[in-house]
Amino acid sequence: MISPKLVSAVTFLYLFCTVVYFTYLAFRAERLGRLATGVAWITLGIQTAAILLRWVESYQMGFGHAPLSNMYESLVFFSWCIALLYLLWERKLKSRVIGAFALPFAFAFNAYASLAPGVSARIDPLIPALQSNWLHAHVITCFLAYASFAISCAVSIVYLVKLKKKGKMEKEGGMAGLFPDLDSLDDLIYRTIVVGFPLLTIGIVTGAAWANYAWGAYWSWDPKETWSLITWFVYAVFLHARITRDWRGKRTAILSLIGFVSVIFTYFGVNYLLSGLHSYAS
Amino acid sequence: MRDFLSSVRLTILLLIVLAVVSIFGTLIPQNATPEEYLRIYKVSTYKILRILGFLDMYHAGWFVFLLALLSLNLMVCSLRRWPSIRKFFSLPEIKLGEGQWKGIAPARRFSLSLSARDALAEIQSILSRTFAKPRVLQEEGLGYLFAEKGKLSRLGFYCIHLSILVILLGAMIGSFYGFRGYVNITEGESADRVFLRSGQQVEPLGFKVRLDQFSVSFYPTGAPREFKSTVTILEGSQKVLTEPIRVNEPLTYKGISLYQSSYGVASVEKAVLDVMERSSRRGFALSLQPGARTEIPGTPHSLVLDRFIPDLQGMGPAFQGRLLEGERPVEDLVILQNHPEFISKMPGRYEFRVREIQPRYYSGLQVNKDPGVWVVWAGCLLMMAGFYMTFFMSHRRIWIRMMEKKEETQVEIAGSSHRNRSEFEKEMDRIGQAVKEAVSSAKKKSSAGGPS
Repeated sequence: MISPKLVSAVTFLYLFCTVVYFTYLAFRAERLGRLATGVAWITLGIQTAAILLRWVESYQMGFGHAPLSNMYESLVFFSWCIALLYLLWERKLKSRVIGAFALPFAFAFNAYASLAPGVSARIDPLIPALQSNWLHAHVITCFLAYASFAISCAVSIVYLVKLKKKGKMEKEGGMAGLFPDLDSLDDLIYRTIVVGFPLLTIGIVTGAAWANYAWGAYWSWDPKETWSLITWFVYAVFLHARITRDWRGKRTAILSLIGFVSVIFTYFGVNYLLSGLHSYAS
Repeated sequence: MRDFLSSVRLTILLLIVLAVVSIFGTLIPQNATPEEYLRIYKVSTYKILRILGFLDMYHAGWFVFLLALLSLNLMVCSLRRWPSIRKFFSLPEIKLGEGQWKGIAPARRFSLSLSARDALAEIQSILSRTFAKPRVLQEEGLGYLFAEKGKLSRLGFYCIHLSILVILLGAMIGSFYGFRGYVNITEGESADRVFLRSGQQVEPLGFKVRLDQFSVSFYPTGAPREFKSTVTILEGSQKVLTEPIRVNEPLTYKGISLYQSSYGVASVEKAVLDVMERSSRRGFALSLQPGARTEIPGTPHSLVLDRFIPDLQGMGPAFQGRLLEGERPVEDLVILQNHPEFISKMPGRYEFRVREIQPRYYSGLQVNKDPGVWVVWAGCLLMMAGFYMTFFMSHRRIWIRMMEKKEETQVEIAGSSHRNRSEFEKEMDRIGQAVKEAVSSAKKKSSAGGPS
């Protein structure tokens, strides 16, 4: 299998991207920015190739399936989603400043996949419960949602950093001077959640539909299901607070951080700390 | 009280409370046996948790009350907001008062060298093409247009809130008019009733399910590949259909769905054993029917397999049996299929190895009826539509007024959008630009083609 080696290479490339994005922030050189973007797209390309290659390799082993079925595969896919969504936002916003905070997430999850001793890169055949087309819809929508929330979390960090250094920066014009103004950051936190929330909802609904086929119950208050609902509640609070109670800035940034902590617990905590129907995913 | 019930503050409070108590529900095992609880908790803790309903929390009265309160909050909230939403659905004035005109966004102003009448016609056609068909009002030397798009997005949050009520309704229909049960059927046998998951009741199906065959297959790695029950549905003695049930492929008949859930070996039809006499090192293959006595050829002994144990203390399938000399039992035997070394270490006249077991399987089927499930899916679709309307559509309205002055007509464009204001500003710029360009190119054409 070559794909795990590619995934390891991608880990280092994402680390490199992060460094370049930070250097870009520090020196504000347009050329560095273009380099960062270029390397990030190339890394995403290599990661895409690694995922596709793993898909092919699973067929060569005689039990082919999309690489979305265990912890290793989901981590790599999560990292891929974060990088992809970030780069699309970068294009749309024509600003690279979030990169230094968003790409570390892509790096971290990919690194965890390829380095953590408990996460096996072995390709296993699909057990009967996983043999369903709902698998693809469920996993893809959930991880796109998680990735969108990861970016929202990154922007919230930028927001809080900038807020804290607000006074100082204006005088010294340090690297945070490059950050967009607080209002556009606040807006971006909202917009990434507006993308993530419907995706999370589709993820929960496709999971429910799948559970209804596999186990005959669309909702059984399994810890994974319950935690995804808790995450949904947190972001629902965010949306209500922002839209109808006009919460802005620090408070919504913190809500976005809490939301992402809940995402992480839904993803890892439930697999490692609680038992339930998703235990095969660990 | 009514204010509190209809407040978003209550919504936020309820969502936070639901999120926090749900965390407890994932930390405290739900619906476990008293023995399991007493292993984790002290007796007093267990009693308190039981009284507070934390052991079946999501069905406890207070949890259902919280959900009911959230539903009530959604309903009251939606009803109270209706008047402010409704005004967007009655047709607005084409001709705004000066105060209203100032209330909406700074206007774009330019003048066209056309009469008000021609300018109105020109703008009307451009708006119809690029934005939406406008309503028009014309007065002497004056003109007014109004056009709007995406009015539906004002209803998006109604769809989302309604969808939550629909989903909860579907869940209620399921819990009142449906059931969740299970049944184990041995190959060749049939069942016409199932045991309910809640309580000890039995639910008649109204038809019979016969298990024709169960099969399980494995990957070379040893992981299971497929569990399959082939069942026949019978009405009385009439066969209705025969179909396989696999994991992820349930069978639904008359609103009742059958799901592959578990399996096991009910009994053994025939077993083939390798038998070796220790004294002579002679080997035989013996085919046995459990319960029946089978002679070991050329010896005074015979073998009886009394009992098949599907899993003996975690060591896998095993037989309990006796070795007989004539009519007299001489040895008690335990033969493990997966651990032949177990018996070879025991003293005795013979060694046994299980070569093959022809099992008779039973299949565990989950049997559910849930007439509310389609209501739940309808609710989910409605929620998706609601999200689209709320987050990805915006209600945009454009007012245009014009006044003829001498040879020219002065045009003002203003508008409002209830989200993504900056995008809308650009859209208004584009419309203004399109009008100016259309007029100037029309001028050029007429001056080029004119008899100058």
